[in-house]
Amino acid sequence: MNGMDPRSTADDPPASTADELLALHRAGALVGRYPDVRALLTDLPGPALARAGQWLARLDPDEVLRAHPDTPTVTVAVTGNATLGPLAAPLTGELARHGLLARTLISDFNGYLADLSDPASDVYSADPDLVLAVLDAAVVFDQVTVPWRPEDVRHAFDTTLSLLEKLVIRFGETARGALVLNTIPLPRASAAQLVDHRGRARLGAIWRAANERLLRLADVHPFVVVLDLDTLIAEGIPVTDARLAMYAKARLSPELLARYAREIGHLARHVTGRTKKVLAVDLDDTVWGGLVGEDGVEGIEVADSYRGEAFQAFQQTLRQLAAQGVLLAAVSKNDLEPVRAALREHPRITVRENDFVRVVANWRPKHENLAELATDLNVGADSVVFVDDSPYERGLVRRELSDVAVVAVDGEPAHHVERLLRDGWFDVLQLTAEDRARPARYQDELARKDFLHSFDSLNDYLNELDVRVLLARAEESEIPRISQLTLRTNQFNLTTQRLQPADVRALADHPNGYVLAVHASDRFGDNGIVGAVLAHRERTDDGAELRIDNFLLSCRVFARGIEQATLAALLRHARDIGATAVTGEYRRTAKNDKVREFYPRAGFVTVTDDGATATFRHKTTDRAEIAAPPEHVRLTVRLARTGEDQQGDDGHEQH
Amino acid sequence: MNSIDEFVAFVGDEVGLSVTADDIGRDLDQVDGWDSVLLLTLLSALERETGRPISLAAVLESPTLERIYTVAVGG
Repeated sequence: MNGMDPRSTADDPPASTADELLALHRAGALVGRYPDVRALLTDLPGPALARAGQWLARLDPDEVLRAHPDTPTVTVAVTGNATLGPLAAPLTGELARHGLLARTLISDFNGYLADLSDPASDVYSADPDLVLAVLDAAVVFDQVTVPWRPEDVRHAFDTTLSLLEKLVIRFGETARGALVLNTIPLPRASAAQLVDHRGRARLGAIWRAANERLLRLADVHPFVVVLDLDTLIAEGIPVTDARLAMYAKARLSPELLARYAREIGHLARHVTGRTKKVLAVDLDDTVWGGLVGEDGVEGIEVADSYRGEAFQAFQQTLRQLAAQGVLLAAVSKNDLEPVRAALREHPRITVRENDFVRVVANWRPKHENLAELATDLNVGADSVVFVDDSPYERGLVRRELSDVAVVAVDGEPAHHVERLLRDGWFDVLQLTAEDRARPARYQDELARKDFLHSFDSLNDYLNELDVRVLLARAEESEIPRISQLTLRTNQFNLTTQRLQPADVRALADHPNGYVLAVHASDRFGDNGIVGAVLAHRERTDDGAELRIDNFLLSCRVFARGIEQATLAALLRHARDIGATAVTGEYRRTAKNDKVREFYPRAGFVTVTDDGATATFRHKTTDRAEIAAPPEHVRLTVRLARTGEDQQGDDGHEQH
Repeated sequence: MNSIDEFVAFVGDEVGLSVTADDIGRDLDQVDGWDSVLLLTLLSALERETGRPISLAAVLESPTLERIYTVAVGG
């Protein structure tokens, strides 16, 4: 659809939502209506969002939580070498834009040294999800006296970096969340104080080598994120507002702080398990130029012309994202045949049918197609990003499926790529092998669903599916994937404890700890690591118990007996090692209702249940009590540590 | 911005702090919820609103909202 759709009613620059927010603010109703704020903020232009951020930053998070106890909260501590107070408002605004309530802790001017070195500092005491250590060039130039030469700057930057490296190590020993650093832009006002170009070039080289060292901290420490501010200022954002820098020591410009906060919003999404998973795109005038139904397969613009090359660049971006685990889908108002023909047969098209996990082309309302797509992929609508050039379609999806993030493109395809990437919807801390394989696995999954339709009963299907499960202690190389499961999984996640790789490793290394990977495969292929069990052995008065801290399963593989087989194996293992019982816990969230009965269904007895949290226990003293794994599952169990006595449960198949 | 009442409403809309006519003569330290970061936000909002540059140094030295208003409207 093109942007000139005469039925267009809902458009993007929503002056009305800014007015509605202002009315809420003036009426003192932002706390009471907090759940509505997210939708009102969604597409506010920069200045209006900044203003709303001011209002929201002045709300008391505790008051919001009292009114709306289910609001997800993210604690963000902000420290650095300047006045960082001006970051509070954009940060609060950006997090609210994602439905997250920010609890911000802003440190004193130039407090980062004390904040990050003292394990008892306010920053560490707040147990933040994210710590932002915002640094600017003064962290270097404050140590340099006039007159200076490039070598003096090298020395000062080296000193700062050595210190930072120590602080990062201290952070790793002390804190739970992620530490966000940034590259430090070199102000021209500093470089231009050298009159010789050779000296400036030397300064530039010294400066960039130091920033490189800063960026590499993320390679060494999995909990460190280094935002490359150079890429943000390359968008045309000023680094500094001279007056704010001089008089208030607020040395990064409000525009740069707003852009920085946008990146942090997506990081906050990620650490709270809200990373988007699906990218659904319109086709006509979004992925290619023209209407395939009218212009024909040969008539659409996909390459080799001014506009064609713009669409080609967009298609390359889609493939690039899909290669990193984003599930790409097409949702187009068209007949299926010409769409298929274009994606299969057009000699110059970049994005092909097999780049998509699903191609939906019909004449139904797009929100219905998107809802169905989410169901088929077993994700929530809030995991979906939708791109369309038609204001009508965007407005309809916004109204009917408000959890879907809607990206507006328009009649100028040269802007498509930057519009799509302006928000880091798919940002993660690190990519795993599982991510790269995900689209292919989901394609298998849709094939499985079609396969399912040819069977009379689920049991016939499962027997034919030939499910194989390996339950084994996670290898070192698998730890990022286990961490990622805790971060990404929302539905089959019994306690929603989000763990960074370091947390997983700590449990794996603990003598009584269990970090178990659930591998699954079937006749359609290898599913990889689809689940995880985090547990520990604990002494009790009458011996020992196995406590399951969390049980996670990817939404792709629910209800195939994998979870029952895993639990049966754990119960048998507990009995074999002399534990008297296995205990488990369920903590309610907005999304994990379907696993509320997981433990009771497996024969566990409910010990406590206050509606929000329930605990369960299964005795293992009597052999007959333990249910056998489902018959259709071929189960292999390896729970002994490397080099340990295999205790009879290693490697054999259980039926 | 033509009156101090408009200024009071402006402060509420721009920095989210509800102040009353009683607050404008008070020492800024005595104004509930006031902090220096608000001043920076207020300055850029005032410059946008009045369409002319305002001295940040003068605003930072202002003891009251009333004085800030006077600086802003060119008094």
